[in-house]
Amino acid sequence: MMETQPARIVANHLSKTFGRLRAVSDLSFTVEPGSVTGFLGPNGAGKTTTLRMILGLARPSDGDATIAGRHYVDLSDPARMVGAVLEANSFHPGRTARNHLLIYCAAACLPDTRADEVLAQVNLTGAARSRTGGFSLGMRQRLALATALLGDPRVLVLDEPANGLDPEGISWLRGFLRHMADAEGRTVLVSSHVLSEVEQTVDRVVILSKGRLIREGSLDELHAEGTAWAAVSSPDTAGLRTALATIEPVVTVTDEPDGTLRIVGATAAAVGHAAWAHNVELHQLTSERASLEELFLKLTGEGEA
Amino acid sequence: MIALLRAEWRKLFSTRLWWGMLLGAVAFTALSVVAQLATNGLPRSDAPPLQTGVEQRAILASASTGYIFALVVGIIFMTTEFRHFTSRPTFLTEPRRGRVITAKLVMGAGLGILYGLVCSAVASAITIPWYSAKGITMDWGGNDLFWVLLAVLAVIAIYAVVGVGIGVLIRNQISAVIGALVYLFIVESIIRGLSALWTWLADIDKFLPGSAAAAVTQIDAGRGDSSVTLLAPWGGALVLGAWGLFFALVGWAVLVQRDVA
Repeated sequence: MMETQPARIVANHLSKTFGRLRAVSDLSFTVEPGSVTGFLGPNGAGKTTTLRMILGLARPSDGDATIAGRHYVDLSDPARMVGAVLEANSFHPGRTARNHLLIYCAAACLPDTRADEVLAQVNLTGAARSRTGGFSLGMRQRLALATALLGDPRVLVLDEPANGLDPEGISWLRGFLRHMADAEGRTVLVSSHVLSEVEQTVDRVVILSKGRLIREGSLDELHAEGTAWAAVSSPDTAGLRTALATIEPVVTVTDEPDGTLRIVGATAAAVGHAAWAHNVELHQLTSERASLEELFLKLTGEGEA
Repeated sequence: MIALLRAEWRKLFSTRLWWGMLLGAVAFTALSVVAQLATNGLPRSDAPPLQTGVEQRAILASASTGYIFALVVGIIFMTTEFRHFTSRPTFLTEPRRGRVITAKLVMGAGLGILYGLVCSAVASAITIPWYSAKGITMDWGGNDLFWVLLAVLAVIAIYAVVGVGIGVLIRNQISAVIGALVYLFIVESIIRGLSALWTWLADIDKFLPGSAAAAVTQIDAGRGDSSVTLLAPWGGALVLGAWGLFFALVGWAVLVQRDVA
């Protein structure tokens, strides 16, 4: 009965304290099936701690987290429900990649053929019978992902999966995660400390800073929050200012270091019209918008430093 | 549970640990058996003659020195999960940690039995031809020699379980191995030395793991060291097994509370 519940991840007032350090404070958010959700925040924001609490590896000091309505420890078949990639070094160096996977096939009552299937899925078939001790970081990431995929899980949780992947691998991962969410309707939660890294992959974001929730919403909503302005320059700056003063409603004008004026509160078209009406010559007129990365840094307080 | 046992089986036999340590146990056993056989009858040796049942028992019982390797293999088998962070996929696949520990203990016992069988076989394979070369007959029935081999098997198997138990409690591999060996070879020796002075300490001493193990094979008592009081063989086996379960239970109680790295 419970298995028919949507495979939604719910964090409910999660808190985690290490001694006197409050790593995660009263954190609540929801991750929906059929979407890729970016779990973002600077290093040390509490992302990994939160993921470990969701996965039952760490015990919350307060609050709880559920997957498809259950605590991780109460999942009847965890490997078929959740696949997780934490740091990519959870292998015995003396064991081959295939033997590593066969262990979890046995533990989760999966057929051994799954090991070969997931190795092929992450393009690691050639290294199946090599000891993991000699693997590069990229190969470890792939094997960690293969381990997560063994049970063909409905939920994927990945902690900084792009670390150590080459550009080709990152682009492959992007396509893979999109496919998991779009075509197969799975729930994907992927953490990163760099927004630009996942910007092209995620639909939704949960942004964390110093253990607290800063934003939760769609990427479009976040985009809309970015400040827009018009950048304009003229050889006749005094005339331009006079022209700008006639725009209704009133706009704010600031001098930029490069000699342009930044106008907030009017479109580039409105600025161009005002200049034309006052016979002012323009050398530049563009629409600008704060990038997601700038906004992200502002939100997480990183930009202040 | 069967799934978890299969997983532990695969863990054990997919690295070099089990046979590497087994080779060590075989070499160590062979060395101590040969040493006893070769030195017997030398002018300075005070060992009873090879013909006596006491000496025959003592020689075969020296195969139990393989316990050191069984103990260490048990510790490593458990702590390697924490050392290489395979504890993560392990507990993600089976979040009920107590079941994982149980499977580990069972596999530890199985591995210990294998080690015990091999060590007993090595001791017999050296002793039997040695005796026949000397023209001395070994009285297997009359001298309880089969029981000695069984005791060797029991000590080695239980020590492997103790090792797994220690590994649950002390998750740092190096600390666990060094701590266990220091305890057995230094701490217990000191206690044993002091128990010759204070009789009340001797009453505690016989319940310590090392003394309990010695009780199973009666190897120390067989040498006529009257200051050492040992439990009966079956009592020693029970006490040693209880130590293994004690470590595992305390370790389990700590592990279910703790966060896994």
